[in-house]
Amino acid sequence: MNEPPKEPVKYVETTIHLPYHYVAGDVRARYLHALKEKKILGARCSKAGKIFVPPLVASPESFAPCEEFIEIAACGVVTTYCVVNIPVIGRNIEIPYVAASVALDGADISIFAMIQECKPEDVRMGMRVEAVWKPDGERQGDHEDIQYFRPTGEPDAPRESFLHRL
Amino acid sequence: MSSVPIMRLDVVSEFPYKHSTGETIGRFLAGLKEQKKIWGQRVAGLGVVVPPLGYSEADGSAGGEWVEVKPTGVVTAVAVVHEAVEGLHPFPAPFAFVLVKLDGADTAMAHVVKDGVEQLRIGTRVEAVWAPDEARIGSIRDIACFKVAS
Repeated sequence: MNEPPKEPVKYVETTIHLPYHYVAGDVRARYLHALKEKKILGARCSKAGKIFVPPLVASPESFAPCEEFIEIAACGVVTTYCVVNIPVIGRNIEIPYVAASVALDGADISIFAMIQECKPEDVRMGMRVEAVWKPDGERQGDHEDIQYFRPTGEPDAPRESFLHRL
Repeated sequence: MSSVPIMRLDVVSEFPYKHSTGETIGRFLAGLKEQKKIWGQRVAGLGVVVPPLGYSEADGSAGGEWVEVKPTGVVTAVAVVHEAVEGLHPFPAPFAFVLVKLDGADTAMAHVVKDGVEQLRIGTRVEAVWAPDEARIGSIRDIACFKVAS
């Protein structure tokens, strides 16, 4: 035979495999430990007074330290969201699902959250939501301790109340 | 500030890629899998290029005559790895990345040497170690590795 097979191999599969050891810093560790107790911690900027959730060592805006920890409510408002219809390999979430930014009451920035217990088409900016925690004894001190957020049924928050903390 | 116990998390990120080979590399890989042969292409200005590209990097001209090269060759560059990264590198350390200019080829091909890396020098003769028949899937690792020629 004086040539390779006529029928080519069509593709090669290569999986990039990256093992990480993540070590939480002191501030992030306090936040994660608090989740076990069904508490969400934020930190207040000592200069501007802005409250960051999760807590930060220093404000990325003023660079001032954020030394004061504050417990934040486990409810808030959907500021912006996305209905996800495309499955991602390695993510076992039934589609469609709603990925949202939720501004917790008292926080000046929003956190990433899933919205469930309602139809994706019913989610809207300004919708009031509350955290659904993992049951006692199952919380590990990680971001999955909050399973998702669900609508509270309260009237929507006016846009002016959250547009500056999307 | 009060201190809390250190929190650590072991996580693995995986990115599964499916890379289209195209006609030329596709046939090169089919040669490894089905024929246990290594094919190159004779292209304008460069001689026999392995692995083949389907064109000449010298002048951009298309095509090339298929030429079988030997599974033996000479090391033109070597880098010994002493700290292997699990899941990334093909073997535990020490192993070596090498460029091998196969007999009959005019360019060198990147591959790995698993054993005897302390013997490797530029100019060391090596030979291909084929993956077992059932393990050849149409991948560059159908050549499992190279070994120092006896």
